[in-house]
Amino acid sequence: MNGPTLQAALAAYRSDSELPPLPDPIDPDRLLSAFHPDHLRGSITTLKVGPNTGTQCQRELADLLQTEAIIDEVDLAGVPVTDTDVLVIGGGGAGCAAALAAAERGARVLLASKLRLGNSNTVMAEGGIQAAIEPGDSAQKHMQDTLRAGHHAGDPALVAALVGDGPDVIRWLIRQGMQFDQTPSGDLHTRRAGGTSAPRIMHCRDYTGLEMMRVLREAVIQHRSIEVWEQSAAVELLSNESGQKCVGAVLKSQTDGSLRIVRTRSVILATGGLGRLHLNGFPTSNHLGSTGDGLVLAYRIGARLCELDSFQYHPTGLVNPPLLSGKLVTEGLRGAGAVLLNAKGERFIDELQPRDIVSAAIIRECQEGRGIHPESGGVGVWLDTARLERSQPGLLEQQFPKLLARTRIAGIDPRQQPILVYPTLHYQNGGVVIDVNGASSVPGLYAVGEVAGGIHGRNRIMGNALLEIIGFGRRAGASAAHSSHDRGPKKITLEHVNRARRALTLAGMSLEKRAPQIMPAYTAPGK
Amino acid sequence: MSETSDGATVELTINGTAVCAEPHMTVVEAAWAGGVPRVTGVGCLEGVCGSCRILIKRGSDVGVALACETIVDQGIEVLFLPPPSTALHQYELAEFDDGWDSQARFHEIFPEASRCRHCHGCVRSCPRGIAVEEGVALATAGRFREAGEAFFECVMCELCDSACPEQIAPAHVGLFSRRITAHFHLRPPNLIHRLEELRQHPFSGPGEKESS
Repeated sequence: MNGPTLQAALAAYRSDSELPPLPDPIDPDRLLSAFHPDHLRGSITTLKVGPNTGTQCQRELADLLQTEAIIDEVDLAGVPVTDTDVLVIGGGGAGCAAALAAAERGARVLLASKLRLGNSNTVMAEGGIQAAIEPGDSAQKHMQDTLRAGHHAGDPALVAALVGDGPDVIRWLIRQGMQFDQTPSGDLHTRRAGGTSAPRIMHCRDYTGLEMMRVLREAVIQHRSIEVWEQSAAVELLSNESGQKCVGAVLKSQTDGSLRIVRTRSVILATGGLGRLHLNGFPTSNHLGSTGDGLVLAYRIGARLCELDSFQYHPTGLVNPPLLSGKLVTEGLRGAGAVLLNAKGERFIDELQPRDIVSAAIIRECQEGRGIHPESGGVGVWLDTARLERSQPGLLEQQFPKLLARTRIAGIDPRQQPILVYPTLHYQNGGVVIDVNGASSVPGLYAVGEVAGGIHGRNRIMGNALLEIIGFGRRAGASAAHSSHDRGPKKITLEHVNRARRALTLAGMSLEKRAPQIMPAYTAPGK
Repeated sequence: MSETSDGATVELTINGTAVCAEPHMTVVEAAWAGGVPRVTGVGCLEGVCGSCRILIKRGSDVGVALACETIVDQGIEVLFLPPPSTALHQYELAEFDDGWDSQARFHEIFPEASRCRHCHGCVRSCPRGIAVEEGVALATAGRFREAGEAFFECVMCELCDSACPEQIAPAHVGLFSRRITAHFHLRPPNLIHRLEELRQHPFSGPGEKESS
């Protein structure tokens, strides 16, 4: 790949240079199939066992789904058992919303998080949350935007539930004590997201996820009916005698390695995504715990999954310095007017196209020799923050303090110079198939948030993830609290694990690899 | 994870283990590269989850920081701190009657807040550079909006809570201030208008497609 070095490109850069007009748009499907990482040769394989046998799946994920469990029946002898009405696995925004909703309806809730409560992708979200509240906007438009950006692969019933919940989700968050940016007249401030027809992103400067997560975390900790177990990873689900119903989970302490069984009527998976699998060798914007655990557990117990060959590479991950490689630069900047420039100082794509298209366009520029190369490796294009600052002085400091705080550590001032960006693995578009209550195809098992699929189709628009985790978190929590009136499980078994092992053996596949992974391998060389 | 660069390495200790790191590594990367076991309090790697709390000794200086944004330095000693203990102050916003009693409730919930002895321990321990002490004083005076604003960049690492000899729990004071402000005072007309429209005409789902 050719193209100038970072130093040469910086020397040639002027924040007041004249910009040539945008080139004619290229057919999005051609752009995607030529340059989007989902279409890389060898990226996709076919699943051989389990409920999705025969469907296409990303290779690294397929390797994880078709594995043996970490534990066996012998490991469970003498393990202490705890009973609860609802078990929530995952301590991000979706897990907290589900726990609060279940507790509000009188259920006893146990929330297990493999890290500290709130230590999640939610806390890192920057841009904001979508809900159609502006005059001229509507739930109908929000729904159309969501389905269209997802290439019409989303489930209309789920999308209708998502967008219909929007305004009430914002009210619920405010009631929990979450702040949002306001206009001088007191309205919620809104911005446009890529691929949308109206401004409907609400935000708390560029710390929306942090504000949401610290409020929900506090609300969960303070709630009398919710017990929180931190540093407790789910290593396997539990099933009834027939292996057909989920009746609990086995948790492993991350501090001392001990196991505990939780017996329950409903399990809500809220384990997030899998960026830390570094699909196709990409860096990721994701949190360390994003290792796809929930998909593995759900698949082994028989839940159907969807869109396993579709992932979101966020267009603007940082390239330089290596310390911050893959970290996100919020789409809010493009929403506020920042443009993307190649090494020749030209715009090459409408910056507010959906994320998959903008990412593919950036990859095209770099592959065709119009990328910028830092000495430390990698390649990228400019996100012209300096031009944005020039046109709206003070904007970066007022609305994007997180960007400034982060780049300060790296010795870069985005008000003075553009920042180098390249797509970063950001989001799992699909996941566990759910209904409008977040219920999976396995009785007793719910999935909410990034681990669930069917809403975003094959590409998610900005702000719909934060909306989904709260909207569907509340739906699943309420539904699980309701089903907690059923009679509890008689027997807890690992029958589904035995069934999955038989399937692997019949297919002639290896039983050596075990999953879930819990943490990326590079974090624990000393263990 | 790390670039391979020739030249000098940096020697430090992490949790008592001697570690050799490359100069541009963070303490987290150095811990991984050096095989330091049981470093469990790490998550976002960008300074917002507040989990990777460390005690750090440089010469005779001892301080606290977040490991993911601390670059290694020759001879430093680092100790990963255990997660903060459970919050001491219990309250549920749903149990508050209205905004008029929030100052009284604040002093019931956080009786220690008015006993600040201005030792600056909280300010010195904050990795975000927040004016913690001032924020607590504002909350004590019932100025919750301003107090909450002071804590805007708080990542709830709770290092200030650990530093406070009066057990004021400043991070939670800040969060209380922010929550009470939103809960009682954030009433955005555009949102309220849309909620009212939806109450009268609920969204019926997919329905007919608008032309696009």
